[in-house]
Amino acid sequence: MSTGGELLFVVCGLIAVVAAVLTVSLSNPLRSAVALLTHVTALAGLYLTLHAHLLAAVQLLVYAGAVVVLFVFVIMLLGPGALDSKAEPRGWVSKTVGAGLLALVAGAIAFAVGKVNPETVAIPGCPDGQAECSQFGGVNALSAAIYRDAAIPFELVSMLLLVAIIAAITIARGRTRDEKELTDSVDARRFARRAFPSDAEAPLLNPAKMSTGPLRGQSDEPSAAE
Amino acid sequence: MIELLGAWAPLLPVLFVALGGLGLMLVDALVKDKAELAMGTFVVLSLGAGLALGLWNEPVTAASTELFGGWVAADRLSLFLDVAICGGAALAALLGGGYLREHQLERGEFYVLVVFSAFGGMMLGRSSDVLTLFVALETLSLGVYGLVAFRRTSPRAAEGALKYFLLGSFASAILLYGSALLYGATGHTDFVGIAASIEAGDAETRLTILAMALMVVGLAFKVSAVPFHMWTPDAYEGAVTPATTFMAVVVKTAAFGVLLRVLFVVFGDDMLSAPSTGWPRVLGALAAITMLGGNLAAIVQRNVKRMLAYSSIAHAGYILVGIAAAASGPADAGWSETALSSVLYYLLAYTVSNVLAFGSLILAGSHGKEAVSYEDLAGLGRRHPAVALPFVLGILSLMGFPPTAGFFAKYYVLSAAMQMGTGMLWLVLVAVLSSAVGAYYYLRVLVFLFMKQPEPGAVVAVPMRSLYVVSALVLSGYFVLRMGLAPNAYLEFALEAARTFG
Repeated sequence: MSTGGELLFVVCGLIAVVAAVLTVSLSNPLRSAVALLTHVTALAGLYLTLHAHLLAAVQLLVYAGAVVVLFVFVIMLLGPGALDSKAEPRGWVSKTVGAGLLALVAGAIAFAVGKVNPETVAIPGCPDGQAECSQFGGVNALSAAIYRDAAIPFELVSMLLLVAIIAAITIARGRTRDEKELTDSVDARRFARRAFPSDAEAPLLNPAKMSTGPLRGQSDEPSAAE
Repeated sequence: MIELLGAWAPLLPVLFVALGGLGLMLVDALVKDKAELAMGTFVVLSLGAGLALGLWNEPVTAASTELFGGWVAADRLSLFLDVAICGGAALAALLGGGYLREHQLERGEFYVLVVFSAFGGMMLGRSSDVLTLFVALETLSLGVYGLVAFRRTSPRAAEGALKYFLLGSFASAILLYGSALLYGATGHTDFVGIAASIEAGDAETRLTILAMALMVVGLAFKVSAVPFHMWTPDAYEGAVTPATTFMAVVVKTAAFGVLLRVLFVVFGDDMLSAPSTGWPRVLGALAAITMLGGNLAAIVQRNVKRMLAYSSIAHAGYILVGIAAAASGPADAGWSETALSSVLYYLLAYTVSNVLAFGSLILAGSHGKEAVSYEDLAGLGRRHPAVALPFVLGILSLMGFPPTAGFFAKYYVLSAAMQMGTGMLWLVLVAVLSSAVGAYYYLRVLVFLFMKQPEPGAVVAVPMRSLYVVSALVLSGYFVLRMGLAPNAYLEFALEAARTFG
């Protein structure tokens, strides 16, 4: 690895570790999110030192660009007060046990990494001007792996995503118009205190929070809620 | 047509079903009457089954094998599973066409999910790499989670779907962990490569055994074997009945298909599959507790759908007996083809019998009053003999009463196990005893149908009128009788598929 690469590795590694610690230790959720953003950006830098250019770009696009933004969205939607806890719920016992476990796991990982023979894990060095080097983790190598070698599982994954979307819509769309007509008659609307109008044994909801939408014409169907 | 596809030909049924599903989504956007979709789904899926049958005698070319590159298998076992899965899913779609319209739940997503889940099941049946196995299993499962939650306004459906989803994700994670360990132990993800590595002694034994245990647990969850069955009754009861039918027949068939492939191809090593020390002994124990647990729990049920759920657990136990028997022969005799073919025959018989039983349950109720408990069925045989007739046939077949498909299925599995000598005798004994227990709750349905009368003043379930449901019942009833009266052709079909494992 060249001197520049080593410098990049050290800087990005330090930033990643510090930002990761800040992510879990800051009390303001918005600041945690920004620390997470710093962390994933630093990780992208680490990927660059491994010659995984495409992975670094995808890391920026997906994690920094989309995932963290989603986090921020959720935090802002919930409002600043929703997530901060004034009282510290954990006592010193659980803190000590947690720290001990963490030290144990971290020590085990460090020990295992230290025992690994470097010959088997080293990324081949990259003399200037060698073409194969840019292949590792680059667009060419990745697309060859996905679209040629593993084309069948890749297409299968696209079907998996399609099924997941349809299933999600099926659940989210909920009821047909007929079902709404049936269950949301006037009586049902007025007295809908049940989470599930079709089932008489379902637990009652808080009447203060029942639907206050406009009422429709009187239905001669007996209310399903009764 | 086959020449046109060239090397892709062995995937024709799967590709057709996938394209059919995409086409149905377009049709769904354009038509108003959603019941048309049930017919379309039935046509797509039965054509898929027909294509699989048409490919039965087509040789697999070297170009195909190279094209598939170890990701998917092209053999008769996968075609057999295609037929069973597509057939079961097509019948479930017909039941859906009647049920959803009657209960005003008609939405196009149901049929699209049925087709795509069936696609996942077909891919699962032919997967020969842990990567394709996992993705196909998830395709199947995600669709089924959506189907269970289809009637979202019902708390039972929500409860069942959530339980199924959480436990199912957990089981998938266990399966994935097993696959990762297997990769760590052997350095391969394709079934053949893993098997070769284990055979050559390159793999670390302890890691391989742990991986095998985790993978078997993950798949045992999908076939709902005791003690991994907790989700089954709730999910079966909560789902709309056509979705329950789909789960009972398609998910089980696909999961058993891939379980066969995993056990006999990946872990077919002499040491791992030794009858006394390897997985056959474990599967035998699993089969015994599954049969006992399923049958005993079914007795105390008061809801017929829940009873059928426990009965499906018990049937998983009988199928596991056949799988354990296939590997329990003398040391160098290889797999018992008789036992393997009895397992496959059982899957077919189980599919048609369950469609018949669930379909009759659908037919017995109508809008406003669905038939779910035993009391709802009281006196139905007197009032509507035409509805009770398929019910009787389905129940007798599930019970294993001649001359139905279920009788020969049980008979073949048990006689295959008997041939394996005294080592399997205890398992056969448990199977016979537990089917005797099972006769109690199956006969109870018949007692309620013909010998009881509804309580005075109780709301009586009125049978619905639907050509869709009736045609599904006629089709499955035909196969139940056909496989019971002349089982040879079907057994031969299963035997040819079983020779895949050679």
